[in-house]
Amino acid sequence: MVGVVGLEIHAQINSLSKLFSGSQVKFLAPPNSLVSCFDASLPGTLPVLNKRCVEAAVMTGLALNCSINRKSLFDRKHYFYADMPAGYQITQQRLPIAVDGTLTYSYLGGTKRNQMVTKSVRIKQIQLEQDSGKSLHDEPRNQTLIDLNRAGVGLMELVMEPEMSCGEEAAAAVRELQLILQTLGTCWGNMAEGQLRVDANVSVHVPGEPLGIRTEVKNINSARFLARAIDYEIQRQMELLEQGGIVQNETRAYDQKSGTTLPMRDKEDFQDYRFMPEPNLPPLRVYDSASVPAGLDPSQVVLVDQLQAGLPELPSVRRDRLVQTYSILPEHSFTLVNEDGLLDYFESVVKSTKAEPKKVIGWVMKELVGSLNQQNLQVSQSPVSSHALAELLALLEAGSISSSAAKR
Amino acid sequence: MFLETIKPGLRRIPFHLRFINYQRNALVTSGSGKLVQCSNLTLFSPYFSHVKYVHNKKVPWAPKWQPVMKTQPSSAMEVRGEVVDKLERLALVDFGNQEGIDCLEKAIHFADQLHIVNSVAVEPLDSVLHDKSMHLRNDIITEGKRAEELLQLSRRVIDEYFVAPPGNIPLERK
Repeated sequence: MVGVVGLEIHAQINSLSKLFSGSQVKFLAPPNSLVSCFDASLPGTLPVLNKRCVEAAVMTGLALNCSINRKSLFDRKHYFYADMPAGYQITQQRLPIAVDGTLTYSYLGGTKRNQMVTKSVRIKQIQLEQDSGKSLHDEPRNQTLIDLNRAGVGLMELVMEPEMSCGEEAAAAVRELQLILQTLGTCWGNMAEGQLRVDANVSVHVPGEPLGIRTEVKNINSARFLARAIDYEIQRQMELLEQGGIVQNETRAYDQKSGTTLPMRDKEDFQDYRFMPEPNLPPLRVYDSASVPAGLDPSQVVLVDQLQAGLPELPSVRRDRLVQTYSILPEHSFTLVNEDGLLDYFESVVKSTKAEPKKVIGWVMKELVGSLNQQNLQVSQSPVSSHALAELLALLEAGSISSSAAKR
Repeated sequence: MFLETIKPGLRRIPFHLRFINYQRNALVTSGSGKLVQCSNLTLFSPYFSHVKYVHNKKVPWAPKWQPVMKTQPSSAMEVRGEVVDKLERLALVDFGNQEGIDCLEKAIHFADQLHIVNSVAVEPLDSVLHDKSMHLRNDIITEGKRAEELLQLSRRVIDEYFVAPPGNIPLERK
């Protein structure tokens, strides 16, 4: 029996104002201070789409090799909850803005965890949708406090096909997506602050047989917890089936302290979202430079080929470039791009010293990263600056000091 | 043929009473025998007594529409208890008593008329704006900072947060 994992990722779009209203997007602010009449769902308000959010979704779609739908539609997804005052969420279910992409990710696998394993997962669709507000549960006083600052913020929902098989793969995919989104500037990707929310759909089956019943795991705050939650859930389901039980189709929450998943609420039984086309919004059209109809105001036009040309260097391209330029191993370039700031450190050392990049990378990898990990520091907090390391290496080259002395 | 039906005496009837008889919808004359091809109001208006009315052949003399379903549909779906419960939970509508449920059944039968239409190769129209494009707004901050106004709308407020009952909206089980 193997596990089957599919991810649903909600990425908060990095924009100044919300998706359908002009209120500010900010993480920490006095409660209900960034709320407009539309966000509070007062009658008589209408949604007006934010151009930056459309561009962000198109850029993300292009970076993930999706085909962009030149015409996409908005729908309403109805469910009642206190943090969504309208009673429905405006999303794109029938015809989203981008479909059929691929996310290629790598992780260090193998017995010694030093071999690059590269896999890819298909992305079913990318859609624009509204975020809901935040609810703080006050159990003792039997009430919930609602803060609508987050209500209406633009989200990109990325729906992936269930092609992964364990927590490590899922964590690597999420890490790669974080890097891509941060490079594009469309999302900060901070899972702890809720800018990137991942829900995992986990099931187990015997290869060749139909897929088993899936459960949804929520409340995951980091890539590491994601791996643990998925592995625990796969284990739990396998044990349950071996003992002759049946897996319930339910939503489970991951508990960080115990490392286990606990049931949250019955999902399929009650929820019928009654999708309906959003009547207040005409279709969203994006164009190519060649096909823009005449007489259209330039500020109303989102040009796909222009955005494609303006995409920055994606992480995968950067890794290949490093391997080419500095002749380092793919595993090393993977670590360089993965850790924040390590790449800049490495490049500045290489510039300042005459030593070969291979030797530099050896020093950086083993000594620097090793000692940083031991003392649990980030690269920016490193006591050894890049200049100091460069000088050290220069001395080493000149033969003034021995390597063991340099290590100290 | 309507020339004879509209007697000169009719002209003395006030305007609002002349609309009651639908049979006169398509064909109206002015007293002098000159016809006007448009609605009742303009026809009886003294300003159009010189315009000649030409009847459009595509417009029938009398309304011809009939109810689509002359009989009750064969698939009489009875609305059972669990379905009613689920509907109440999803739509937050209280069906109250048997009358409410009867009304619901009638509504469902009324909607069954949609199945009679043949829509095989027709794309559904869900908005009259389907050939227009959405207006895109620039990404600038224009609203916000009205916490006080919005909080006044809520019955209970604690420390600038709206207060709601815990979990989802509770419904009493019947």
